Amino acid sequence: MTPLLRAEVLKLRTTRTFIAFAALAVGTSLLIAGLVSLLTEPTQDSVLADVFTSDTSSLFIIILAVVGISGEWRHRTITSSLLAAPDRVRFLAAKTLAFAVVGLLLSLSISISVAVLGFIILSARDLPTPGLGELAAQVGHIASEAMLLGAFGVCVGALVRNQVVAVVGLLLLSFAVEPVLIGLVPNVFRYAPFVALPTAVSAIPADQSGLGDVDLLAPGLAALAMLAWIAGTFAVSAVLLRARDLN
Amino acid sequence: MSSAAVEIDGLSKSFGKVHAVSDLSFEVQAGRVTGFLGPNGAGKSTTLRMLLGLIHSDSGRGSFGGHRYEDLEHPSAQVGVVLEDASFHPGRSGRNHLRVLAAAGSHPDSRVDEVLERVGLTGAAHRRVKGYSMGMRQRLAIAAALLGDPRVLVLDEPANGLDPAGIRWMRDLLRAEAARGNAVLVSSHLLSEVAQSVDDVVVIAHGSLRASGSLEEVLGGADGPVTRVRAAEPERLAAVLSEAGVRTEALSGALVAPGSTPERVGRLAADHGLALTELVAVSRSLEDAFFELTADQS
Repeated sequence: MTPLLRAEVLKLRTTRTFIAFAALAVGTSLLIAGLVSLLTEPTQDSVLADVFTSDTSSLFIIILAVVGISGEWRHRTITSSLLAAPDRVRFLAAKTLAFAVVGLLLSLSISISVAVLGFIILSARDLPTPGLGELAAQVGHIASEAMLLGAFGVCVGALVRNQVVAVVGLLLLSFAVEPVLIGLVPNVFRYAPFVALPTAVSAIPADQSGLGDVDLLAPGLAALAMLAWIAGTFAVSAVLLRARDLN
Repeated sequence: MSSAAVEIDGLSKSFGKVHAVSDLSFEVQAGRVTGFLGPNGAGKSTTLRMLLGLIHSDSGRGSFGGHRYEDLEHPSAQVGVVLEDASFHPGRSGRNHLRVLAAAGSHPDSRVDEVLERVGLTGAAHRRVKGYSMGMRQRLAIAAALLGDPRVLVLDEPANGLDPAGIRWMRDLLRAEAARGNAVLVSSHLLSEVAQSVDDVVVIAHGSLRASGSLEEVLGGADGPVTRVRAAEPERLAAVLSEAGVRTEALSGALVAPGSTPERVGRLAADHGLALTELVAVSRSLEDAFFELTADQS
């Protein structure tokens, strides 16, 4: 698995899409954290959620994952990928793991940068800062969210294959369909994988994520539910990938 | 178990009602270049993709030294592949494309620079593939096939996009690989090119085998090899050959011996002290043979 994992990470690193998306994630996260630190006056109770949850890597990593796997079909590189790794399930597993790892690392590096920036600005303004323990826990929650969404994005992209449909569908589900449905049927859609569960894993309050007063799952339980979504979509994608002819 | 480097055994594949390949069997030997010929739509690419596990066969099996491609432990170290529609991520440089494949196949990065040098792309290695010409892309695909220094090369229309110098380079590459003892299976529609490069030929049409064997055997047609011979004493030579069971026909002052090689005819003449003034193998051109064998599809 290690050579395949290395190859998948190398694929990601050697395209401008990844560099652009990573730069966007870093830029937007630092911009939000900087503006909130400079322009608001958070209290001791709200500072963690207000300033230190601005890591946007989860959004970008799921798009990157969908683009990464569906791009194999778009550019027809799936053939050379499967010639190098004829075991199709291992190939899919390597890609899933690679995006999970990259999501984790990207999120950690952004969250730590956000934390450093937030601490500098808040300290300079004599405003309260969170304890290191609770900050570390928050960073861990957000990194877990990015890791799970990276893996989930690969499985979704492998199911859909058409890059445009996959990306547009992802954005529609994340920003329109799921937020509306969770408001209508919260007991069902709090188990939905694009917004509700990731928000719960990140331990960010529902109202701060635009989900109103929905009672989200606890982070640990939400992570298990996300893992179940990943396992389910991975299984279906793997079966389809194995059955497909690559003409 | 067969000693062939590549074995195609009864492969069949249908797409809906279309029979793309029907019960196709042939072998590719180590140290030889085997041309895989057929008209467009004959089933060549489908056959190669079944051999490589990219398309699932309805029946039959393709294997390398007895093992299916997907069962090979380090496939890229054993089989190098160039497919007709070799594709690359347009935003990745040629060198990075090879680095990805090297990582997946556990080949050292040093091999990347070696194969780039071998295909003449060192100068363009850091350019993004979307700026490559078709010929450069084809060379990059060949570089990828050579990464693992494989014992078998499977090449689908490798001369596509190459200029005359590139085609000559490709021919030399195929011959060099065979000379190293490697097996080369190359599909092509450039018959004149194939005729200069291959040792063996497999001809298919409508997904079925039409002919296979050495180039000489296939060019000889149904009669096998044909020899034309002239001698100072033609009547005596005809008698000697007839006694030895060699069928001959008189043609413009010469004798034509269908089904016999020049070696056999020459040996019989020598054994009887007969002086020969001409001894040549008569063959159809590969183009003639191809059109004859695939007449119902061409």
